[in-house]
Amino acid sequence: MRYIFTLMLALTLCSPALAEERLKMSTTTSTQDSGLLKVLLPPFEKKHNCKVDVIAVGTGQALKLGEAGDVDVVFVHARKLEDKFVADGLGVNRKDVMYNDFVIIGPKGDPAGIAKAKTAAEALKLVASKGAIFVSRGDKSGTHTKEKELWQAAGVEPKGNWYVEAGQGMGPVITMATERQGYTLADRGTYNAFKGKKTNLVVLFQGEKGLFNPYGVIAVNPKKHPHVKLDLAMRFIDFVTGPEGQGLIAGYKVNGEPVFFIYGKK
Amino acid sequence: MAAQFNLTSIQKRYGNKIALELEELTLWPGHLYILTGPNGSGKSTLLNILALLTKPEQGEMAFTGERVTWKNRELNLMRKKVTLLHQSPYLFAGTVSANVAFGLKARGLSGEELQRTVAESLELVGLKGFEERNVRQLSGGEARRVALARAVALKPEMLLLDEPLANMDQESAQVVEQLIASLPDRGTTVVMSTHDPRLNERLEGDVIQLMGGRLASENGRYPAYSSGDQNPGTLKTMLMADALVMLEG
Amino acid sequence: MGFIQESIRTSFSLIFSLDWEVFSAVWTSVGVAAGSIILAALFGIPLGLAIAIGDFPLKRVVITLLNTLMAMPTVVIGLVVYGIISRQGPLGGFGLLFTPMAMVIGQTVLAIPIVANYTLSSVKGADPRILPTALTLGASPLQSVIQLVHEIRFGIMAAIIAGFGRVISEVGVAMMLGGNIRGYTRTMTTAIALETSKGEFAFGLALGIILMIVALIINLLLNFMQQR
Repeated sequence: MRYIFTLMLALTLCSPALAEERLKMSTTTSTQDSGLLKVLLPPFEKKHNCKVDVIAVGTGQALKLGEAGDVDVVFVHARKLEDKFVADGLGVNRKDVMYNDFVIIGPKGDPAGIAKAKTAAEALKLVASKGAIFVSRGDKSGTHTKEKELWQAAGVEPKGNWYVEAGQGMGPVITMATERQGYTLADRGTYNAFKGKKTNLVVLFQGEKGLFNPYGVIAVNPKKHPHVKLDLAMRFIDFVTGPEGQGLIAGYKVNGEPVFFIYGKK
Repeated sequence: MAAQFNLTSIQKRYGNKIALELEELTLWPGHLYILTGPNGSGKSTLLNILALLTKPEQGEMAFTGERVTWKNRELNLMRKKVTLLHQSPYLFAGTVSANVAFGLKARGLSGEELQRTVAESLELVGLKGFEERNVRQLSGGEARRVALARAVALKPEMLLLDEPLANMDQESAQVVEQLIASLPDRGTTVVMSTHDPRLNERLEGDVIQLMGGRLASENGRYPAYSSGDQNPGTLKTMLMADALVMLEG
Repeated sequence: MGFIQESIRTSFSLIFSLDWEVFSAVWTSVGVAAGSIILAALFGIPLGLAIAIGDFPLKRVVITLLNTLMAMPTVVIGLVVYGIISRQGPLGGFGLLFTPMAMVIGQTVLAIPIVANYTLSSVKGADPRILPTALTLGASPLQSVIQLVHEIRFGIMAAIIAGFGRVISEVGVAMMLGGNIRGYTRTMTTAIALETSKGEFAFGLALGIILMIVALIINLLLNFMQQR
């Protein structure tokens, strides 16, 4: 019996020592939950005989991992934070990869009447004035950052029992909003994945330029962390921004609908 | 012949209570000592000290001429020469032979020689063929005989026995008594404690009396009269020698 | 709750379809737990023995400390080890973070107090005649302690079983130090956490059922070894 355990231990420990190279990538939970990576990564892994280790955490932590040098490449959707990341000398070769948008979802009955709002900011103002439940990510993620921008544009400081700061990922927040029959700002990808079986909330506001949600990929700066796999990271960036990666992204659909959009033609 | 054990100014305390206090105790090889005294008189404490399992708070000890330093390596070597059999002995989980072989294995014995020694010891206590029995299946008397075999197998220079015959069935008691009586002639000094006031009628031994943690002699010494480095022989011969001196003088 | 029935069905279909991801997670769970408990036993049993048998000042403080460590939340242990093995930490040079080895380290730290504590209890509850008997028969202190361990092996085995239960069911350490990487550091528990965060309650519970089945099998095995 002892031998079986020792064997298992040995095998587990040996796995990092196996021939393949491993590229560590941090990304957001919503990116992972969209399921895109399951179609995007395998062709890259096969082509370059490597394995991409995906560590899905909140945007804040994803960037922190890059800063600490615990990952080789960062794939998030928080433009302002990404720009700061590069400006601070923590990352190099930032490239746009894809985009989708945010939507404001809520109960079918729309108690705050946001469907008739002209702007996203106005929609949130209506929610606040009605005191309708609004669930916030509360975790400094890209979504949360966008949400805060909208509150600022609306000239409202969200406070009170109606404003629920969940401190969790997009999935749990949609679940919570569903339970409480409240509103929330969600990225379309995660919402589409939940639509139907896991939530009865519907999209009540969408389409505004301000709800644009761009994704970027950045390699961790080798000057700061010499050990990072720069070569492999660069190849990854080339892959996702190149024709093959872009094709996979554009073609990825959930429930028959595309989740992400690419820049330019094809 | 040198003394086997020499204890001087011994004091053993448990908390504030003094369990044992003696001025001097000298034990000679080849004797059979019978330790008597009521409950709580310090018999077990003395045996544990002689077994080098308990360190007295005060006092000096010398075993076979060497001073007892209570340091690990030397202590272990000395413990291989003096073995204690508890009043209610603990048998290790497993077979009888595993128990009897325990101390022998610790001394590096193995293979055929080990098996032979185990068989011999079991025969001495009247448990021939008991090797493969599990200790859980033994009766009370059998268990204590196995413990005795386990100790005797080591042919120690000194064997300490804490009430070896108490509450023992007749058959076992006879076997054990006979074995104990034969030990001094086999080269093992015996110190045994007992409640039985008539034991000395059956076994010829030197009686050491304890009372309230002290030796029941006027000067707190045993032997009561100091005879320097000479082995005084058994009590009988001492008395006879005295008688001769008296007759001659 | 309709999803409980659905989850039972899902769990069996996952098992019988030999779903690769599920089996990978099971393998990782068991492998990491096994590695951790072996290391924890190597450190924890001697530690428990030493504290129980030894006589030293502050003995009570040490025992209280041990009891407190047993109640430490797994996230806290995860954070502390994270701080040490992250690239920014003192042992960052080894690049251990987000590997199975990191999880083994964290879970070993988690299990050592449990194994030590149970061992300590076993020794305290053991027959006080064991050590003196072995010593008087001429065994060295080390040999005597080994014999003691043999006599209390049932309790020592219980220590290992308790430690194993703790590590195979925990999420905090595995998540923080492993990163829940699919096919690499994803354990049953981190997979369940992931599925739950995606709102896949039935699937999450199905994985939970599989985990319980695996734990049951392993405990039957350990119990069998204990009785021998």
